[in-house]
Parts: sequence; C-alpha cells; structure tokens
Amino acid sequence: MKKALHIIFILCIVVVFGMLVIKKDTPENAFSENYLTETENITYPAQNKNITLDGVDYLQSQAPVGKFGGELVISTIGEGPKTFNPCNTKDATSSSMAGILYDGLLTTDARTGEVIPQLAKSFEIKGTDYIITLRKGLKWTDGVPITADDVIYTYKDIVFKGLGNTSARDSMMVRGKLPELVKIDDYTVKFTTPEPFAPFLRQLTYPIVPKHYFKPHSDQGDSVFGAFLNPNTPPTQIVSNGAFKLKEYVAAQRVVFERNPDYYKVNLKNEKLPYLDKLVYLIVGDTNNEILKFEAKEVDVLGLRGSNVARYKLKEPTSDYKIYNLGPDTGTLFLVINLNNRKNAEGKYYVSPVKQKWFRNRNFRNAVDWAVDRKGMVKNIAQGVAAPLFTAESMNSIYLNKSIKGHPQDKNVSKEFLNKAGFYLKNGILYDKDGNRVEFDLYTNAGSLDRESIGVMIKQDLEDLGMKVNFKPIEFNSLVNKLSNTNDWDMVIIGLTGSPLEPHDGKNVWTSSGPLHLFNQRPQNYKNDDRYSWEVELDNIFEEGALKLSFKERKPIYDRYQQIIYEEKPIIYLYSPTRITAIRKRFKNIFPSALSGLVYNLEEIYVGDDEEKTSLGGAK
Amino acid sequence: MEILQKIFKDKFAKSAFIVLAFLYLIILFADFIAPYSSTYSNRDMSYAPPSKIYTITEEGKWSLPYTYNYIREYEPALMQTIYKQDRSKKYYIKPFVKGEKYKLLGIIPCDRHLFGVRNGGYIYPLGTDINGRDVFSRLLFGGRISMTIGFLSLFIVFPIGLLYGGISGYFGGILDTIMMRFAEAIMAIPSFYLLIILAAILPSGMTSIQRFCLIVVILALIGWAGFARVVRGMVLSIKNEEFVQAEKTMGASNLRIILKHILPQTTSYVIIAMTLSVPSYILAESGLSFLGLGIQQPDASWGNMLKEAQEFTNILYRPWLLTPGFLIFIAVLSFNLLGDAIRDFLDPKSQSK
Repeated sequence: MKKALHIIFILCIVVVFGMLVIKKDTPENAFSENYLTETENITYPAQNKNITLDGVDYLQSQAPVGKFGGELVISTIGEGPKTFNPCNTKDATSSSMAGILYDGLLTTDARTGEVIPQLAKSFEIKGTDYIITLRKGLKWTDGVPITADDVIYTYKDIVFKGLGNTSARDSMMVRGKLPELVKIDDYTVKFTTPEPFAPFLRQLTYPIVPKHYFKPHSDQGDSVFGAFLNPNTPPTQIVSNGAFKLKEYVAAQRVVFERNPDYYKVNLKNEKLPYLDKLVYLIVGDTNNEILKFEAKEVDVLGLRGSNVARYKLKEPTSDYKIYNLGPDTGTLFLVINLNNRKNAEGKYYVSPVKQKWFRNRNFRNAVDWAVDRKGMVKNIAQGVAAPLFTAESMNSIYLNKSIKGHPQDKNVSKEFLNKAGFYLKNGILYDKDGNRVEFDLYTNAGSLDRESIGVMIKQDLEDLGMKVNFKPIEFNSLVNKLSNTNDWDMVIIGLTGSPLEPHDGKNVWTSSGPLHLFNQRPQNYKNDDRYSWEVELDNIFEEGALKLSFKERKPIYDRYQQIIYEEKPIIYLYSPTRITAIRKRFKNIFPSALSGLVYNLEEIYVGDDEEKTSLGGAK
Repeated sequence: MEILQKIFKDKFAKSAFIVLAFLYLIILFADFIAPYSSTYSNRDMSYAPPSKIYTITEEGKWSLPYTYNYIREYEPALMQTIYKQDRSKKYYIKPFVKGEKYKLLGIIPCDRHLFGVRNGGYIYPLGTDINGRDVFSRLLFGGRISMTIGFLSLFIVFPIGLLYGGISGYFGGILDTIMMRFAEAIMAIPSFYLLIILAAILPSGMTSIQRFCLIVVILALIGWAGFARVVRGMVLSIKNEEFVQAEKTMGASNLRIILKHILPQTTSYVIIAMTLSVPSYILAESGLSFLGLGIQQPDASWGNMLKEAQEFTNILYRPWLLTPGFLIFIAVLSFNLLGDAIRDFLDPKSQSK
C-alpha cells in the first residue's frame, strides 16, 4: 500500500513536470484590444471678469455653473506640511498648502501663463511704476476687511525685511536694490522698481497676509515668526483669505480644508464659490501607497508614471476616472559633473586634481554626453511616457530654445572626443594622457527605481568607453549634503523643478555665485574671479534678461543661455517624463493645462451628478 | 557523520538538506549555469516576459526544445509597451553553448554556458527586469550574496557569544552579574533604528558590498548577547559536573577548562542555534536591500531584486519579478526545517515526536 502511494506520488510529479516541459507551439493571439481614443474637445472658459455687487468687487468665473457640495480628496507624498505660514515655506507641500489658504495680489493664468489680477481688481504698469488697485469689500476669514495696509505690511515688514523664506526678497532685488512701495489710498498701492525689471510683475503673486493677525508675531523677529502657524496651531485660529480655510490637520495623515463662505469669486449666477464643501489632502508615504489609495477609491486624483500609465489607460473606458495628458514635466532630470577646482577649509581639493583635469575638459564632458542613451531611458525606464531632454529649460517652458535639436547616442563620437582630449585605450581600459586610469563615482539617491536604473544604464555606457564608474545610490539627505556642503562628488544624477514661465527663477543655479550652482559651487562671499568665460556670459545673461521687459527681447537672451549649457555641458540633461493624471469622472470643470496641471482651479471644480453612471446601468 | 545519517532518515530534514545543497551548488556554479552574466543587459528587452519554450511544433510534431525571440512594440494610444513573438525564426536551445567569458570558480577561464541559444536568439527563462537584464541569471548571482551573508555574521556572533557566556557562567558571582547586565544593555539597542541611522552616516565611498558587510558586522556585534545568555545558563550547570571538578584538582587553568571541557558540551546547542540563525540573516539582507539600505544596484541580491516588484503594476503584470521572493521563502524554510530536525537529534529530551 505504502509503495503504491509512493509510486503514485512520483508519477504525479513526473506528469506535472512533463506538462511544464512539453508545450505545444500554438500561435499567441496577438494583442488586439479595440481601443478608441476619444478625442474630446475641451472648451476652456473665458477669462474671469470683475463684477461689482452691493459694493463688493467680485471676480466672476466664466466656467459652467455647477452644483454646491461634496469633497475632493487629493494625495500628497511625503511627511505633510511643516508650516501653514505662506511667508516661511521651504518645501513644496507646505507652499502648496499655504497657497490654498492665502491668495496674492496677482496670479498666473493657468493656461496662458499671463499675469492676471486676483486680490487686485486691476493693475497698471507705467515704466517702473506698478499701480495696483485692490478689490473693495473683501474680508479675511475673521471678518476684518482686506486693505492696502495688509499689502504694505506683507511686502515691507515681511518680504523686504527677509523674514521667513528670503527667496522672494532675493528675486525682487535689482542690482542689490529693492523696489519702493507707497500707499496711495486704502485700496491702491504703488510699487516702483529701481530699474525696468521684467520678472517683477510675477513677484506680485506673493501671498498677502493679514496685518492684524501676523504683526504681533513678525515683530518678535525671525525665530518667533518661523514657528508661527506651525502645524500645531489650532486650525480655527488661522485667519486667511483663500478659497478654502483650514479645518483639521492630523499629522502624517491628512489636511482637511473647508469652504471659505466669504470668498470673493462668484459663478455666472453670482453665487459665491467654491463649490466644494471640503478639500482633503491625504498624506501618503510613497507612490505605491498613493496608487493603492486610488484603487481603493480613497483618493480622487492620481499622477501616473511609466508603466502604470498603460494599466490605467486600458481600464479607463470601463472605469470611473478619466486620464489627461498634461504634456512634459516642468522639472528637469540630469547628470551633473563637478567642475570644482577649489580647496576646502582644510586645504584639500574637493575633487582630486587628476579628476579635475577630466571634468574641466569640455571634450570629456561631450564624450559623456554622447554616450548617454536617452532613447533607451525613455523606452525602458519611462516605458515610452517621456521624451529625451537636451535643454536647461524644461520642455514646456515658453522660453525653450527650439533650435537645440539634440543628438542620438553615438559612442564613436564619444571616442573621438576622448581622443581629442588625449585619452587612450589600453586593453579596454581608458587612461588619460598622464597615464591615470579614468575612474570616478556616480551618485544618486537610493530608493528611487527610476534613478537607480538610469545610473545602471549610464554606468554601462561609460564603461563601454573604458571608464570605471563606481555607481553608488546613497540616502537622499547625504546626497544633498554632498551637493551643497561637502562638494566631494564626481557625478550625480538628480532633478530640479523649475518654472515654465520665468527663466529668471533659474538664477540660483546658473549665476556663478548662486547657492545652487551645482557644477562649480563657490563658497559664500567668494572673492577670487575664477569663472570660465562662459560662466561670465551666463552671469551677464541673467542680469540682462531680467532688465528687458518684453518676451520678444528676452527670448534670444535666454535662448543663448540654453545654447551655452548645451555646448559646455556642465549638466547633461536626460529625459523629461510626460505628466499623465487620472481624476474621477464625477468631478466637473476640469480644464487640463500644460502649465498648471489638472486641479489648479479648486474653487471651480464641482461634483457632478451621477447621471452617466445610471444611464450606463440602464443600458445594460 | 552521524548527524548526516540521521538527517537522511528524516523525510523533512532530508528534503531540506537536498534543497539547500542544490541551491548552494547552483550559486557556486552560477557563472556556468546562468545563460548571461549579472551585468548583461539588452536595452531593447526591458521587462520582457519569460521566453516560452516549446517541445511540440505547430504541426504537432515532437521537436527539440526551441523558443522565439520577442519583438517590442509601442502602442501610442495606450502608452503601452507590448511584446510579441517573432514567429519567423525558431531558436533551438542547445547545451554548452558559447557565450560571455567568465572564470569558473574564479580560476578556470571558460566561455561555455549550460544552455543557451545561438545566432542572435535570446533566452530569458524568467523574463527580464527594467534594464533588460536576465532575471534568471541575476537570481543565481544574487543568491551568492543572499545565501552566504548569514555565515559572515556567524563568525562574529558565535565566538564572542561562546567565550562571553562561558566566562560569565564559569566564574559566576559579581563578575557574572556585571557581564550579564552588560549583555542585557546591548540587547536593548533597537537594531532597526540603528540601521537607519547607520545608512545615513556610513561613509559613501564604500561599495555596496563593503557597506553591507559592515552593516552585518554591526548587527552581529549587537546580536551576540542573547546567545551568550543561553550559553552562560548551560555553563552554570556544566561547571558542577564531576569531570570539571576533576580537571580543577588536576590544576588546569580556568581558560583551558572553559575552552576545552565546558564549551564543547554546548556543541549541540551551538549547531542548532547556528542553523536557525542563518535564515534570519537571509531575511535581514532581503529586508534591508528592499528598504534601500543593503546591497545596491547594479549588484544583485534577492532583496534588491524583489524591490523592483514593489511597484504596483509590476506585481500585477510582471509576476516573474517575484521569483526572488519565492527563493527566499524556499531557503528560509529549508534552513528552519533542517535546524528543527537537528535539534531533535542532538537534544533527545526535547523531542517533539
């Protein structure tokens, strides 16, 4: 009996194994999902109008009239906001949360990128004078009227004094001078810049804060002001002027906003916006977590990347969400080479002199650039949902230099460049003209599958040229420390976010004294002028470009800067992912924009009827 | 030898032993068995599904095993990459084909691989990863790290634990109290937080293998305390045995008594503890690499390969990326079964059957 069982058991294994091994060759059904791409034409509403009702200057939204009520749940990756003080935000999450609470005088049109009035009723530019007229009858959430005093306070006491985050002050400075600001009457203010200064108008989008609420704290200096409106502040105490006010903040879980009933924007029927009762930001740890929350219908909006796109596209026709293609990302992803030739405080070179000779040689950088397989990255890492990038401006920038066409990967060109620079190959190993083996470190932040895979590809390509690349994904904070403090790195794969509208925002990266001049970081108050001629030119470009006022005049200047970066290649750009975003179909008034994304018009979005769903159900 | 015989008498222990022996044999000859090297990558075949191997042709006739290449297509409407079989050419799977050069066992130069296809064909028995690297080959190379890293810690934990526990138990008294309290203090160090801090402060100039070895060493340096306590308990009872008294009267030194006469009595426990602690280090490696603290790309280990499967769509559409998890499961289970069986043989008192 036992033997029989054994035999049966063994027979079973053999049969199963046989079935695995013996397989008949039958043609696979070719993938033929009938998929029709609906090309829905979105009609964008006209620009907002000013309308005065009962002495209050409202802003009238021209978007279709919707229904009041409901809530929208958005996710935010990371640890959540660190402050709700709009003048003190230093990370993206905090500034977007504070941006919901506080409106600025002006704002950026989400589609055209023009500067349009927001809290201001209108603005007028006369040479270097900017005259801003405020809306009358507007109130803070505690009922106090919004007047010119608040504007004066915000700029004079906070921005110009450099309280909180000083970047706004830095960008308003023209040759070391700040603009002047005078109050004309209770609803009119005038800014005067020392010289014609193109980026200034955009600086007026800075959020306006309530003087009566902020002043007691800002008077006590930076340290008190820094802690003001921290996440432990009771939400009901916060006085704001945005479309939504803070209702609840649960650390590391969610931020809940509720409708501001006194908001100054109305719809076509003159009913006060926003439509939504509640706006919730769920704080999620990472993208996988975000996707699972979206699947579980806990989140209504989801940004898609790489291979996820295909899955959601396939399921879209039978699902409750719609996918929008928002075009190229506003950030840039690149490989930066360290051209630093200075010594640290202990008299040691940041980059060893042997390596300096390679990295400071343009032919070497060109060789690296030509060896990078951007097409492969787009194909494999972004799964086709991206485009190769060659310019310092992101691909949806209005200042993009379109004459830079880029080039395919060609290792033979790389070899020519290396030959020109005196490098030679021996037994497949690359040596420089002094006989040193070419070996260096390549860093990126660990934990990101995309960047690690990019690193693996770059390492392979460079090793094909005979270099030895030690690829080291390290923890993000250590990487930032290397880049900004210790400077002891050779090459780094990292990204930066930028503005598609204002190239002057890149000043901190491209000017030689900038705090983010990654590839040739100088210490603060550095006196020696050891700039490359092209660094001098970049410095001039960023000074000159800001002083020209019209787009027509500025475009060639900023074209030139992209050309310089492309020729000198201190930074080698890699690719630009395409932003694909899914949102539940029940949300209406969605007007996707390449510049601003999908849910920028929070006050206009409303929850539509479930008509479509029931009619579909009826048809079945 | 006696243990081996006993292992072969127990069904579970026998299968676990065979599985482990098989795994170690495979990773030893990984260069030969794997069709590709661990750094090989085919950029046109990122996330290619496993090659389908056929033994019966379309016409229904028997054939030597063969496979087709994949063609990669991009569907712009869906933004999807699709792999289709290129059915125009069959590639027969041949034994001992020529491939990339390697050094067998690190010495013998060789370029034959156990199996493979010729003339531009590809064979990916378990598909490829994001960089177009063969998952099957990387599994074998990754096993070299994952399956051996545990032994590194054994060389630290056991000598320290044995000596420390031995001295503490043998001398007893105030020395025992001090030593044991110290061991308890070490046990109280939260290892997970320690690791996260270490990941941030370790010098970044090290390769990922060096870094990981250092992490294992540190883990071992705080991991010996529990073991030392058990040894000390055993020594407490052994030191009262007659043969120890005899040794003392013969004038042997304390160290000699501990090393030569007392500690050998704990062998059975040591063997059991060793077998049972290896899997915990395999799991630790995969956990750490999964979190990005352990072995980093482009080096392969089961943990960092599994990390790729963390992506939501990869679990759904590319199940072959989960194979490292399956191997971790098999290896850990086998070690545990084997350890249990050995305990039964060596410690008749606690026999569970």
